[in-house]
Amino acid sequence: MLFQIQISRMKTSNVIWVGNYSTVVKRDPVLHWSWKSELPLECATHFVRMRSRVDDAKIPEPRFWSNWSSWKEADAQKSLGRDPLFLFPKDKLVEEGSNVTICYISRNQQDNISCYLEGQQIHGEQLDSNVSAFKLNKVSFIRKTGTNIFCKVDQKDVIKGIVLFVSKVLEEPKDFSCETQDFKTLMCTWDPGTDTSLPKRSSQSYTLFESFSGKKILCEHKNSCNWQVDSDSQEMYNFTLMAENALGNRSVSVLFSLTHRVHPKTPYNLFLKNVSGTKATVTWKVHPIGNYSTLLCQLDLLGEGNVIQQHNVSIKENGEYLLSELEPDTEYMARVRCADANHFWKWSGSISQKFVTAEAAPSEALDVWRNVKSVSGHPTVTLFWKPLSKLHANGKILSYNVIVENLDRPSRLEVHSVPATANGTELTLDQYSYQIHVTALNSAGPSPASVIVVSGDPGNEEAEEERINGTEDGFSVSWKPQSRKAIGYVVEWCDHPQDLPCDLQWKNLSSNTTSTVISSGAFRPGVRYNFRIYEISTERMANLLEKKAGYLKELAPSDNPQVVVSNLTSHSFTLSWKDYSTDSQPGFIQGYYVYLRSKAEKECHPGFKKATLSDKSACCQHRIDNPEQKTFVMENLQPESVYEFLVTPYTSAGSGPVDTFTKVTTPDEYSHILIRIILPMIICVLLIMITCYLKSQWMKEKCYPDIPDPYKSNVLSLIKSKENPHLTIMNVSDCVPDAIEVIHKPEGSKIQFLGASKSLTETEFTKPAYLYLLPAEKNYSGPGPCICFENLTYNEAAADSGSCGHFPVTPQAPPSQPGPLTSPENLLKALEKNYMNSLGEIAAGEASVNYVSQLASQMSGDKDGLPTNPPEPVHCSEYKMQMAIPLGLASPPPAENSGLSSTTPLDQSEHYR
Amino acid sequence: MSCQLAILCLLTLLLPLLSRGAPMSPAERITQAYNLALSMQENMSTLLQTYLQAQGSPFSDPGFSAPELQLSSLPPADISFKTWNALDDGERLSRVQGAFLALSQHLQLVGDDQRDLNPDNPILLAQLRDARLRAQGMLGNVAAIMTALGLPNPRAEDTVGLVPFGASAFEQKCRGYIVIREYGQWTDRAVRDLALFKAKYPL
Repeated sequence: MLFQIQISRMKTSNVIWVGNYSTVVKRDPVLHWSWKSELPLECATHFVRMRSRVDDAKIPEPRFWSNWSSWKEADAQKSLGRDPLFLFPKDKLVEEGSNVTICYISRNQQDNISCYLEGQQIHGEQLDSNVSAFKLNKVSFIRKTGTNIFCKVDQKDVIKGIVLFVSKVLEEPKDFSCETQDFKTLMCTWDPGTDTSLPKRSSQSYTLFESFSGKKILCEHKNSCNWQVDSDSQEMYNFTLMAENALGNRSVSVLFSLTHRVHPKTPYNLFLKNVSGTKATVTWKVHPIGNYSTLLCQLDLLGEGNVIQQHNVSIKENGEYLLSELEPDTEYMARVRCADANHFWKWSGSISQKFVTAEAAPSEALDVWRNVKSVSGHPTVTLFWKPLSKLHANGKILSYNVIVENLDRPSRLEVHSVPATANGTELTLDQYSYQIHVTALNSAGPSPASVIVVSGDPGNEEAEEERINGTEDGFSVSWKPQSRKAIGYVVEWCDHPQDLPCDLQWKNLSSNTTSTVISSGAFRPGVRYNFRIYEISTERMANLLEKKAGYLKELAPSDNPQVVVSNLTSHSFTLSWKDYSTDSQPGFIQGYYVYLRSKAEKECHPGFKKATLSDKSACCQHRIDNPEQKTFVMENLQPESVYEFLVTPYTSAGSGPVDTFTKVTTPDEYSHILIRIILPMIICVLLIMITCYLKSQWMKEKCYPDIPDPYKSNVLSLIKSKENPHLTIMNVSDCVPDAIEVIHKPEGSKIQFLGASKSLTETEFTKPAYLYLLPAEKNYSGPGPCICFENLTYNEAAADSGSCGHFPVTPQAPPSQPGPLTSPENLLKALEKNYMNSLGEIAAGEASVNYVSQLASQMSGDKDGLPTNPPEPVHCSEYKMQMAIPLGLASPPPAENSGLSSTTPLDQSEHYR
Repeated sequence: MSCQLAILCLLTLLLPLLSRGAPMSPAERITQAYNLALSMQENMSTLLQTYLQAQGSPFSDPGFSAPELQLSSLPPADISFKTWNALDDGERLSRVQGAFLALSQHLQLVGDDQRDLNPDNPILLAQLRDARLRAQGMLGNVAAIMTALGLPNPRAEDTVGLVPFGASAFEQKCRGYIVIREYGQWTDRAVRDLALFKAKYPL
């Protein structure tokens, strides 16, 4: 029968779907047919009707449709409760990307309802006054716990929602394949892809169906399934794997022959036997596959992770292979895997085993080099060698043997054993030639010897140094062979020339080589590398051929020399930096720049040119092109000026830092002259003063004795020669004093003596009074036995008075005796008193002298350094007659003498006037 | 580690229920129940936050609150102060007991719901289990207080029987929210009730 079904929505006339359903109708038939509505049935009333027709080929045409049945109404809303709001469908499961229609049913038309999907408001289509539908296109997977959609009635706090469970799309299983390891079980595996399982929903399932046998099994796992092989009869298999979940299914098939799907089990019992330095035997076992199967096994030999050898071996059950061409003392790994020899499908799993070959004697001689130096007169040879590579060591080096043989004088060989950790040794030798053999030892034996000949006499180790330029690749070093007997060359350098030790390196080169490129990871820009090229003679002796020096890249100097300023004059000074080493700089020093700047001078000196510094300031620059010229004289400078200078070296890469200038101030132009004149003068004066002081007594005797000797007076000789040749010197014994001249002097004039000697000649001696000491001649007025003389060294005015024989007495009275000296009694008293004072003042030696001088006794007291009284100011320098007073005279003379001496203290300056 | 520590603390609080050792005084039982209520109060906000975050929008939206959602099978915690103040000891304790009886059963239901809806969220499931155990602990503590005070102990009733089992996922999420919310409110009320008893029956 064929049934035609019509479905209407909302009203019968609104047919939304028409379809046919054909089935065989039996007796008492209850037929079931279902239809899925896109719109939840709760959202609208649906109607359904049908008609039928015979659909049997046996029944001839025409076949007529029956009448339509009556409409059957399906109204789910009637069964809903009284809630104000409903949302449908509830908990619907859909596939990601599909379209879904939801609806809400409101009991109150007045309610304003808004709906949201994960917080975003959605807008729908109103189906009738109470129902609105929302069509969600291509829904996306948000989370496994479902997508919440909810509606709420505004102002009423009514909230209703549904959860839409969106499932990931079920994928077709990938990489589906089956294989067997033992012809008993087939293991089928696949990649299930995305997991579509959801909470409250059953997960995806996998079913394996074999079409030839018609068997079907439900797989326990999502990515594998085991199929039991029943018998050997079935060779071909056609498997269909079907993935299924609540929303659909996917399937994939594979057709294969069982013998072509053999995947052997991993081999076992892999062993290494008879391992020597170069050979080893490998044995292993496999699980047998069937009775006639042969396995192809692949044996790999790995060293340091790389496959060195690969061998294929066909076996039934036991495998064996002899590995050869192995390196001694090397760790290897043997690895075996197997596959079906007839129909290769897959390699089995691998089994591996590590082993180490036995040691063998080192295969190569050491690379040895030497450095000869003289220590305390003995040539000392430092031997260096490079450790043997693992390839050539053939085992663990235990020690090095150094055998020293004297070539000039047969003697016993010296054998030195050097620990394996050392890469060299030091030997102290004599002035002979020695042949040195160096070998490396391991447990299997020594290496071939490395021979080097060293002469005790270092010979000429000097050679002209040549400059070379470095490149990114290193230094290109070339040389000119000196002899044809060279068996090779060695280039020697230090990787770290600034350090100690400098990490000596060397490179051996063959005899037909005349150039090489020296490269090292240690080379740095701005470091000077020195290369020495040695020629190795047939006697294995090294002779220095050439020396090279170069920089990988020259840099500008980083420091400036320490400059010393010398010979500073008002117009020049000298700069010198002799301590500056040009060899240890970051480039070849080509010369120096001398910068000079001064505020006083705007123009540059000859030889200088103007330059602008980095701080935009201007200065003068002079270039010195000779790196060995380390002095410079700044000339033509201004006196008393401040100059700033800077000396900076320069290389091909630039000059040193121009930053810190040094200030120099030129001195005054005359200062040096003053120093040259004044200093000697001061020294001369000082010398004279010292001499005068030391010879003061002599000078005094010569120039101004306390009692001048008239015979020695120059005046006398002068008078004698010019005026009166008969004039003689008075003899003291001839002179008999007879009178004392007393000068009456008013008291008021006393003050004048204090200041000026001028008053002496004008007013003081108005009335001389004479005291006659000789009573026999009372009125003696003319020349008598007393001889008068003129003392021209004293007051001439007084001498000219003509009062010969009279002794003018200084009209000075001590302050302690203010009384007038007019009466003889008073005078005598005064004299007596003064005499007594004078005795106390005069030194003992001088007190015995019988001359009384007008010169102040004070002077002698001063010069002797024994002053008894403080020096008194000179009151006058008046004339005083000199006379000799005999000791045998009456008692008054001492009083007279004392009075004279005590009352006439003269300032020294007065005498020189 | 923290989970184990929490269970250890919980067991410490529940231990008096299990042990039949020396009888405790009413004041000691009240203090014990009060401490348990405080512990429940401390964990409340975490439980609610964890629950809402696991349900998706609108539950996980910031500041989500739906006071209109109610569950008839749960006694409301809201009560006027006058009524609450006028409650006698027996009535006060029996209301707390009734509420936590219903809450413990509802928390079991919510735990089952979430095991379906959020099977991959062990933190949420563990917190729901802990909340249920605490509710049961409170139930026991209150019963012990009533016994100690010589108050009649009403017989336990099955309250969840009234809950519709055919709830949709969204309804389950809403139901869980209401249960946890009410659990919090009843915890607050229990703290207040027990503080009153603590003052009334000092140690």
